[in-house]
Amino acid sequence: MAHKWGMVVDLDRCTGCEACVVACHAENNIPTAGEDQAARGRAKHWIRVERYWEGDFPNPRVRFQPVLCQQCDEAPCEPVCPTYASYHTPEGLNSQVYNRCIGTRFCANACPYNVRFFNFYNPAWDKPLQLQLNPDVSVRSVGVMEKCTFCVQRIKAAEIQAEAEKRELKDGEFTTACAQSCPSKALIFGDLNDSASEVARLASSNRGTKLLGELGTKPNVTYLERGTWEDATHG
Amino acid sequence: MERRDFIKISALSGVMATLEGCRSAEKQLIRFIPEEELIPGIATIKPGVCTVCSAGCGLLVRVMQGEAEVVRHGQQGLIKMGLAKKLEGNPQHPVNQGKLCARGQASLQMLYHPDRITHPIKRTGPRGSGEFQAISWDDALKEVSAHLGTLQASGSANSLGFLSRPLSGQQGELMTKFLKAYGAPPPVWYQPFDEAVLRQANLFSFGHAALPTFDLHLADYVICFGADFLGTWNSPVAQSISYGEMRQGRPGRRAKLVQVETRMSQTGANADEWIACRPGMEGVLALGIAHVILAEKLAPQAPGSRPGSLIDGWQAGLPEYAPEAVEKQTGVSVAVIKRLAHELAQSGLAVAMIGGPPLAHTNGLFNALAVNALESLVDKSSILSFTPQTGDAAPVQATLAALHTLSAQPPQMLLLYEANPVFSAPPATRVREALAKIPYIVSFGSFIDETSVQADLILPDHAALESWIDSVAESGSSRAVASLAPPAVLPLHDTRPMPDVLLGLGRQLGGEVAKALPWATYDAMLRAAFVPLRTRPGSIDVKTDDDFWDAAQTQGGWWSSPSTSPPLAAVKRAPLSAASPQFAGAAADFPFYFLPYVSQSFADGSLAHLPWLQELPDVLTSAMWSSWVEINPNTGDRLGIKQGDLVEIASQQGSVRAAAVLSPGIAPDMVAMPVGQGHENFTRFASGRGANPLSILAPLTEQETGSLAWAATRVKLVRAGGPEQAKLVLFAGGMSAFPHEQERR
Amino acid sequence: MRMLRGWRRALLVVLACACTWGVVEILLPRRAARASGPPDYVTTGVFTPAHPSVLAAVKDFVDIHPEHPVQPIAYTHTMHLAKGLPCTFCHVGVDQGPEARIPGVTVCMSCHQSIATDRPEIKKIAAYQARGEEIPWVRVYNYSGSAHVRFNHAPHIRAGVACAACHSDLTKQTTAERKIDLNMGFCINCHTQKKVSIDCETCHY
Repeated sequence: MAHKWGMVVDLDRCTGCEACVVACHAENNIPTAGEDQAARGRAKHWIRVERYWEGDFPNPRVRFQPVLCQQCDEAPCEPVCPTYASYHTPEGLNSQVYNRCIGTRFCANACPYNVRFFNFYNPAWDKPLQLQLNPDVSVRSVGVMEKCTFCVQRIKAAEIQAEAEKRELKDGEFTTACAQSCPSKALIFGDLNDSASEVARLASSNRGTKLLGELGTKPNVTYLERGTWEDATHG
Repeated sequence: MERRDFIKISALSGVMATLEGCRSAEKQLIRFIPEEELIPGIATIKPGVCTVCSAGCGLLVRVMQGEAEVVRHGQQGLIKMGLAKKLEGNPQHPVNQGKLCARGQASLQMLYHPDRITHPIKRTGPRGSGEFQAISWDDALKEVSAHLGTLQASGSANSLGFLSRPLSGQQGELMTKFLKAYGAPPPVWYQPFDEAVLRQANLFSFGHAALPTFDLHLADYVICFGADFLGTWNSPVAQSISYGEMRQGRPGRRAKLVQVETRMSQTGANADEWIACRPGMEGVLALGIAHVILAEKLAPQAPGSRPGSLIDGWQAGLPEYAPEAVEKQTGVSVAVIKRLAHELAQSGLAVAMIGGPPLAHTNGLFNALAVNALESLVDKSSILSFTPQTGDAAPVQATLAALHTLSAQPPQMLLLYEANPVFSAPPATRVREALAKIPYIVSFGSFIDETSVQADLILPDHAALESWIDSVAESGSSRAVASLAPPAVLPLHDTRPMPDVLLGLGRQLGGEVAKALPWATYDAMLRAAFVPLRTRPGSIDVKTDDDFWDAAQTQGGWWSSPSTSPPLAAVKRAPLSAASPQFAGAAADFPFYFLPYVSQSFADGSLAHLPWLQELPDVLTSAMWSSWVEINPNTGDRLGIKQGDLVEIASQQGSVRAAAVLSPGIAPDMVAMPVGQGHENFTRFASGRGANPLSILAPLTEQETGSLAWAATRVKLVRAGGPEQAKLVLFAGGMSAFPHEQERR
Repeated sequence: MRMLRGWRRALLVVLACACTWGVVEILLPRRAARASGPPDYVTTGVFTPAHPSVLAAVKDFVDIHPEHPVQPIAYTHTMHLAKGLPCTFCHVGVDQGPEARIPGVTVCMSCHQSIATDRPEIKKIAAYQARGEEIPWVRVYNYSGSAHVRFNHAPHIRAGVACAACHSDLTKQTTAERKIDLNMGFCINCHTQKKVSIDCETCHY
């Protein structure tokens, strides 16, 4: 069966540490915008941690929510792209083909999750910071949209390796940069079509919901509800 | 010439000129022959050790071939070499088990930082001007040797100082041995948030002068007083791993987290119950809870409540800490105190933790002893334990007192390594003035910062990934852990590893110093320290020392086999009674408590030079590239301060300005500011950015340990401008955000 | 002044725009950069995917890349392949990863420290090594950065694709010549014939 890549975000495990955010920058050659461009809303965080405050002192509450490209089955960003730069792959990913992109930005407009980022200018790295750039990932130039790819370079590398060794991919054999770094294991990535995989098991949890699921985007990221004291074991 | 001809010619030449661009005369750089065999496109994974905080997590470094611009033998050129592309946690390492925090991920940028010092430099302008010029290694080392020799010969060997950030492992050993053999006082270990109070408390309560390890995955109930243990405190990755398991790693069991704080921290955001307590009164609250447990006999008093005996009145049932009295002092209601006592006692698998701001008061030690006493009452399963040590060098402990001595009696010559007290020590310590009195300063650091800019000579160290690194874990594991890594990449610049430079200087000095440091290279010294571990039951089972040394390098270190934790035994000392926390500044003039807190992005400020961390949105405010002060919305209303306004925060020591962020997570009589910005001189990314809250701290200290009471300063607030002046940069807010809907299937 | 008509007006407009652009984008920033230089102990310069000049950008856009560039050493594939050297002797890694390594001077000298040492080209190679310098080979096969294509040699080698299928018959070439235009159509044709994925993300990500 073909792979269908998906992710589970366990909101009860997420601590808001943002290790995922920095790991993603390091893995995917995401340029740093700098203070001026960041002030214009152009910082690119393919994965971000949102915070929601409720209540007032002395009873404030905060909830964290990591948000990344949901790789929607019915992605709103796909039908609006005039050049098919945003399209759905056979393995369930929403792929951004940089060389097709002509920078209309309709996709970012259509995306309800705000996970698409546009290169308004050619990125620059003060030398020798560019030595850190990952050779397995494109360096995007001006005029091109970018977003989370579920670390497609890692997916491809694992698939090629498995093919070379004439075997199936094993669950947990590789993972995305964010999930790999997450200390509390709040991010679980894998093949939803592999019924034995961790992600498939967790995606069917009764704590599971979809972000903005009511919009009909059919995201492949499942969020597991944060727990409450009532869920805990009493002595 | 006809007009049309003129136009034709001008147009043509203009277009041609534009198409040519102003092509700069690019020198064709020569390509040097590579110094290592690498296949392009194929990654090699090498072990590493993270040096960004004291947790000492194990790394895997992904190395791939790339082309770097370098200078070899004075000539500029390109060379194909292994480049570090990504850091991951080492799955075999007992502390971080394959995981890595945001700061550890970002530390990769230190290696390829554009403002790294690339070769030795000598001061040409006045001290602190930042004017340096290149000097060869030979000349530089000759100069340092000469100074050291002269100092020793003139009988002033005891006037050599070494100021460094705390180093566990052999680097610290090397410095200590060098100074001892030379005849100088021991190294001054300095770090702004030094946890000296907790170590002292743990020595009294448990017999271990160390930071504790928490097996949260065994707990059903965690009450934490002030420690940002999922963020920056102690061993955050290890703690986060066990936190994840404590939440959802055991089917049918989910532990409860209660966080007692004065300001909502990243950890507090994850709590099931968040309790606001008055600053410095956390110990009283803990004893209020203990009082209820003792009075209602909710938990059997095990013999291990010796830590309780360190609190005055424990044997009598803590009469001074009845809930009504505690409510008055802490602001926490009687009902909550009683309920917490019941929940804790019923759970059985409970742990009480303390760290961070509660210890940063004049009564910090009391607060720690109080929570330790509560901990011993409720923790029956040794959820709190201590990491076994490898046996030789104990982790070094930084104290402010040592810095005071340096200031009071400036040495004749100072060696400096990655400590920045000019930035992070309170102004009353007068470090800058002290440095001005020292005739000769040599720095080994890789960057110019507020302290190293005062140096006369800089001998830049290799980056951590270019060096032999070792570290001993003080906490975060139930096994003894000695991490080790050879260099993952070849040196990029004309730098030299500090330990090898010291060994070389020792050889030059001869005599006692050369005898005390007989190793030709630092890795020889490391080998000598590591091979004795071979005979201990542990992760490497081989027959020869050579095999052991090879295996240790490949695995990223050695760790012991699982064994019972070292026993906890309280030390006999006079019981402590509650003392009210003292604050600098009268409440009438300075109405707000001031809380500088260790930043998720910059830790103590030493990581502000990394662009990934500057752009990392603070998780509670989403602020990037900025400084801010958190103010309760009611306070904002009262003082006419709106979100994003520029605010001036003034203490008796000075004032700073920062953007206001209205936050419900802080009391109306308190304001908080993250530490890390406000560097005047620390690379292009951090210089001249934001404000430094440490620069307005009063020099109040914890009354018994002398540790800086960094939460004991009071301030006043006034609006100083609008958002255009404050320039707060937020990641969130520019887009509409949708909170997660609670829909169960 | 008479009003300009037609093509003259258009040309004047183009000229005016070009001059303004030149001043704003090139001259002014250069002046600013020269004003305050960084200290000599830090690394300078910026890496960017932008082309170094408009000419370079135009060349890239219209796909002007020399097919048979002049190389610093008059290497001959014909002779070396005739002697039975497999491609992978020099181009290491082609069956393991994405790149086929262009060999360094050490590889050449591993044989030529003793073979044909009197020939002038060999002496040149020896001189490079003696100077600690790599031979500055000029790349013949490459993809433009704007193609954002990630070609991986190893799966092709493992699938049994001969080097000559894409790199043409090197037994007839001295220095490498790009006789086959490796455009996307070429790749898609072979992929279609061999019934291998032509999904965009196979190569473009």
